[in-house]
Amino acid sequence: MKKKILYIFNWILLTGSTVIVTLFLGVILFDIFSKGLSSVSWSFISKFPGNGMTTGGILPAIIGTFLLTIVTTLFAVPFGVTCAIYLNEYAKPSLLTNIIRASIRNLAGIPSIIYGLFGLALFVQSLRMGTSVLSAGLTLGLLSLPYIITTTEEALKRIPNSMREATLALGATQFETIRDVVLPKSLPGILTGVILTLSRAAGETAPILFTGVAFYINTLTASLNQEFMALPYHLYMLSTQHNSIETVRPLAYGTSVVLILLVFTMNIVAFYIRFKHRTQE
Amino acid sequence: MIKSNSEKREKIDWLFKQLFKFTGFATIALLGGIFLMLIYNSISFFANVSPIDFFTGSQWDPGSATSKYSIIPLLASTGLVAIGSMLIAVPLGIFTAAFLSELAPKKLQTFLKPVIEMLAAIPSVAIGFLGIVLVGPGIAKIFGIENGLNALNGSVLLAVMALPTIITISEDAINAVPKSHREASFALGANKWETMFQVTLPAALPGLIAAVLLGLGRALGETMTVLMATGNASVLPEGFLDSIRTITATIAIEMGEVPYQTTHYYALFAIAAVLFMITLLINFLGEYFANRLRKFHA
Amino acid sequence: MKWCFAGLLLLFVSCSNDEKSIKIKGSDTEVNLAVVVAESFHIHKPEISVSISGGGSGLGIASLLNGTADIANSSRRIKEEEMQLFQKKGIRIDSFVFAQDAIAFVISDELPIDSISIQHLSAILKGSYRNWKALTGIDKPINIYGRQSNSGTYDFVKEILGIEFTPYAKQMNGNAQILEAIKADHSGIGYVGSGYVTKDSGNGLKVLSIYSDNHPHAVSPLNREMIAAGKYYFQRPLFQYYKSSSFLKIKPFLDFEKTKEGQLIIQSSGYYPIL
Repeated sequence: MKKKILYIFNWILLTGSTVIVTLFLGVILFDIFSKGLSSVSWSFISKFPGNGMTTGGILPAIIGTFLLTIVTTLFAVPFGVTCAIYLNEYAKPSLLTNIIRASIRNLAGIPSIIYGLFGLALFVQSLRMGTSVLSAGLTLGLLSLPYIITTTEEALKRIPNSMREATLALGATQFETIRDVVLPKSLPGILTGVILTLSRAAGETAPILFTGVAFYINTLTASLNQEFMALPYHLYMLSTQHNSIETVRPLAYGTSVVLILLVFTMNIVAFYIRFKHRTQE
Repeated sequence: MIKSNSEKREKIDWLFKQLFKFTGFATIALLGGIFLMLIYNSISFFANVSPIDFFTGSQWDPGSATSKYSIIPLLASTGLVAIGSMLIAVPLGIFTAAFLSELAPKKLQTFLKPVIEMLAAIPSVAIGFLGIVLVGPGIAKIFGIENGLNALNGSVLLAVMALPTIITISEDAINAVPKSHREASFALGANKWETMFQVTLPAALPGLIAAVLLGLGRALGETMTVLMATGNASVLPEGFLDSIRTITATIAIEMGEVPYQTTHYYALFAIAAVLFMITLLINFLGEYFANRLRKFHA
Repeated sequence: MKWCFAGLLLLFVSCSNDEKSIKIKGSDTEVNLAVVVAESFHIHKPEISVSISGGGSGLGIASLLNGTADIANSSRRIKEEEMQLFQKKGIRIDSFVFAQDAIAFVISDELPIDSISIQHLSAILKGSYRNWKALTGIDKPINIYGRQSNSGTYDFVKEILGIEFTPYAKQMNGNAQILEAIKADHSGIGYVGSGYVTKDSGNGLKVLSIYSDNHPHAVSPLNREMIAAGKYYFQRPLFQYYKSSSFLKIKPFLDFEKTKEGQLIIQSSGYYPIL
């Protein structure tokens, strides 16, 4: 009898925990979508904010996040991938490379606001880029580097050594082996990592706080040394800084719907690539 | 002809090797620069303010006439909210991981894994937003207090954000326990639950500790959620219903307002350096335990 | 891979000059006003891009000093030590007063007082009174919702009353959060710019009138005539500081603020025109 009660208790403990965790996601999505979907319309995503940001849409914020992600990609992907190639294909296993790997993994755990400080000190001040799309994008790029390096290295590791050896035996140079065999084979894995990293970067707010994001901009961001609006910061601003928080609540909910949809879409694309790649193998 | 072609290829090969090497080291140097920048600016701070005041005082008030730079209230806030989040997230996370690996049928697993990945993907400002509109008012109602922007609110939200990390790593740890352990336990007459609590979970312990540490690292470093949801009063907190202001929130609030190269500016780098050290230590510990698990089962 | 590098290079090259974009930062009190002005300004001069951020007067002045803003909105006069920093860097600045503001003290409408003396107000904000009982007869703790130290409103209140705020005062991110907190907290008191209470007052909020020994008649911050006469205790000019060297770049925006249309926007946002 006692055993049976224990049995049921344990079952409830485990199942209950799982149900609660699932409920967290359910509540988050339900609250945001039930209150936010009605604000999302074509004009919401294609118009400028109006009347002191109490009406209208979030077009400049969408464009800003888009531009920001492009800068991040152009900076972080080439550097991250080449760094991973160097570590995995060229560097001989040694204490040094092990230390480097460990530091890169640990850099992924550093609070994002510290990247913001670094971006401010390096890009905004020392390199005189000012508060701009460029500074903020490069800061997000730095934040993304450790993730891209780690995921790329994992993808490269999955290519069996026999493949490299076979190509090398055919007389190809190491660079040709990487270009013609290793990279094409590991591309889906690299791509998955890159897209997941970028989706994280697109949702980040802390690193762009002092590197270029603005409350409001009355034209579309056209050049890289301009300030910009961004979706996550727009949500922060609407929910804490605006002068009539209550009136703009629907806009804040609408913005979070768009932000979450954007991030989820990127995630789903990444998972699809990974899934397709795995089933092909 | 053939020779010059292969010479050219050799040259390209050499060139790219150097290029990869260069970008590799440049990337690493850039990331190492973060560390140097923090140290350099912190030294400038301690040239003006004594480390004793910094680590023993009780007030963070750079704005007042007699500027006070003590990290203690900020550190206490950061610790309080992070520990609170772990109290919620650790049991939930480990039990969920146990459910996933020991109880859940395959079909349920394929449903639950994306749920956890989606939870991890939600941007922190969206969670902070819910802290303002949903969790905060809820807490205010439950405890009969006027305002729900306090440490408890932050802890609940951070728990949600740390859960995916804890669950994923714990699950890996539990899965890594060899089947033979369990079978031996069953053979001795232990039932499923006794096996789980007395054999499997203890065997996975290093991995579980790693999971908790990495989850804690995530909670300590989070900025937007605590900035939006905890009220930001920089006094020593007395309980979970007090407003708090973490290190990250302080940096976010004050960095914009300070003129470059002033004591206040350096002070923000100094508290960032402390946070950096703490998260680094926690990550290293987490990694140490994760490695021990690997060795243990190898 | 090659394309990525080429793209990166292109990005660096494509940075055009920033003569056509004006960065305005600073006072949280002025930010929404600036946004509305910039919206109308866009109709007249679409070729000039204006970006606006809030965060507090201190942030604006620091950004001007740091070179990350062209105009610093400030709801307080620039401080002596800030002036010294500008001088040390060899930067000359000028200022322009574009509107007037009155700071409103706000409580829940459940508290049975309509006006308060500046002595009592100082005592509350200093932390000498921690309960409403002495003032209203209701036994409730006083919760203060104030601003962060980077706020011009924070500095203005602190200086005009000659006090230091109690550390128990909550430091909210902006005016709007203060109002929202007081709507929920029936024993709270807070201070915001007058532009914030004209729209939102009514639902649960009450704006206190202020009196003092010199002016025994309580004056409300919403009273246009009294403010035009300069009779409200907490009224102040709203400044815009800028570098003298960048005057030509920002002139179109300042000129627009001086036009009839600009002044009309200022009035309809709840602020008062320049005296």
